[in-house]
Amino acid sequence: MAISGGAKGILIFAALALLALALAGFITGAIGAAFVDKFSGDENVVHGWTGDVLPLDQPAVHLAPQYVFGDHAGDSLDYDNKEAKKYDDSSKIFNDNSFVITNTILSSLVTSGVLIFLFVLGTARMSVVPGRLQGLLESLVEGLLGFIESVMGAGKGRGVFPLIATIFLFVAFNAWLALIPIYQSFGVIEDGHLKATFLRPAGTDLNMPLALALISFFFVEILGIRAHGIGYFGEFFRFGNLLRGRILTGLIDVFVGLLEGISHLVRVVSFTFRLFGNMTAGEILLLVSSFLVAFLFSVPFYGLELLVGLIQAVIFAGLTVVFAAIAVAPHEAEEH
Amino acid sequence: MADLGFHWPSLLVFLVNFGILLAVLYYFGYKRILAMLDQRSASIRDSLSEADRVRQESTQAREELEAQLGEARRAGQQVLEEARQAAERYREEEQARARAEAEDFLRRARTQIEQERNQAIEQVREHFADLAITAAERVIDRSLDRDAHRDLIERALSESAEAQRN
Repeated sequence: MAISGGAKGILIFAALALLALALAGFITGAIGAAFVDKFSGDENVVHGWTGDVLPLDQPAVHLAPQYVFGDHAGDSLDYDNKEAKKYDDSSKIFNDNSFVITNTILSSLVTSGVLIFLFVLGTARMSVVPGRLQGLLESLVEGLLGFIESVMGAGKGRGVFPLIATIFLFVAFNAWLALIPIYQSFGVIEDGHLKATFLRPAGTDLNMPLALALISFFFVEILGIRAHGIGYFGEFFRFGNLLRGRILTGLIDVFVGLLEGISHLVRVVSFTFRLFGNMTAGEILLLVSSFLVAFLFSVPFYGLELLVGLIQAVIFAGLTVVFAAIAVAPHEAEEH
Repeated sequence: MADLGFHWPSLLVFLVNFGILLAVLYYFGYKRILAMLDQRSASIRDSLSEADRVRQESTQAREELEAQLGEARRAGQQVLEEARQAAERYREEEQARARAEAEDFLRRARTQIEQERNQAIEQVREHFADLAITAAERVIDRSLDRDAHRDLIERALSESAEAQRN
């Protein structure tokens, strides 16, 4: 392949710039700093060559989200569990007479706002010949509907579509928005250190996956009850054979029904911790990778997290569809 | 659970947040988009059936046109046939007339010839009488044998012919 002189120059410049960036990242990162000196002086600050100019805080991982407003801004919700009971009212909605707003809640509000903005903007002036945004949203909706109908059966997807699509969009956009570089760049500063970011992907807060899991769980169970009436509970309480005097099969049936009930309840736990674990691990991975070697090193992980966000959204929405399809399916079809 | 960050007010907030997001996206997003998708598929279906209808109509029109063309062709052929028959009839009539004329002419000619011949015979007969008298006069003059007789008639005839010629 022939490369013209100008293009060659640009390539060389880009390669040099990348090399410089890699070098700068290495110097400012923790590994490079460790070569220059040991963690010295302030234990929480990495010095290295650039430590006096750019003091890097050691990454601190808090599973619980942080307050962003009020007297306790920057404190984690589980603050009272770590520090000797400074306050123990973290389970109240109002904290210091102000409504609890954590950085994950703020992030979920931002995600919702972006989604609402996109959809309202894209559907404000609908036309049969769609514009770009309308076309994008239409293909998104059509793709999701196609996916749902491929599981539920053609023509049966409309009823469950809004909830499934919202789960998918919320999980995916919440993960993706957090990957925008400036998203987690602002926060509560205390003593010159960033104590907590204003925005933190809601997936890293146990409560968000738990909320979605509960919604998914009740949605599926309500669909099942609507499809089969009170008979839906026959799935869990199988006393038929026992009452007819067949003791052994009766006991097995009861046990199977019990297992079935437990498996439905366990879905909530698996939904919650799958999303929470993936999102939290992704955040920690990005934090650690950009802390060890700044800039370039974390780029592949950003790509990975982009994929993880999509996959988690697909899994959460997909599993809900599958469970819904099983719940509304005739009981005979479920007997293996 | 608190170590993991469980916090029921937050849970409540996330639930409410999701509910509001779902409602807003449903009323301002999915509903409109699905309606638009339905509308578009309906309009495409309509267009297709409309195109089908137009195609059928055009086929029908073409068939009608072809039928009309066939009709016209048949009519033209009929006219042509009639013309041909008329021409034929005319030709036959003309032929018949010509033949009649010719026959008439012939008949007239024949009549004329007959008349002329009769006239000629009449004349010959008239002359022949004179000739017979002349011949008789000669017969009386001399005795006649068969050969002389023939000779006489021959001579009389040639004389009459000469006389006729004069």
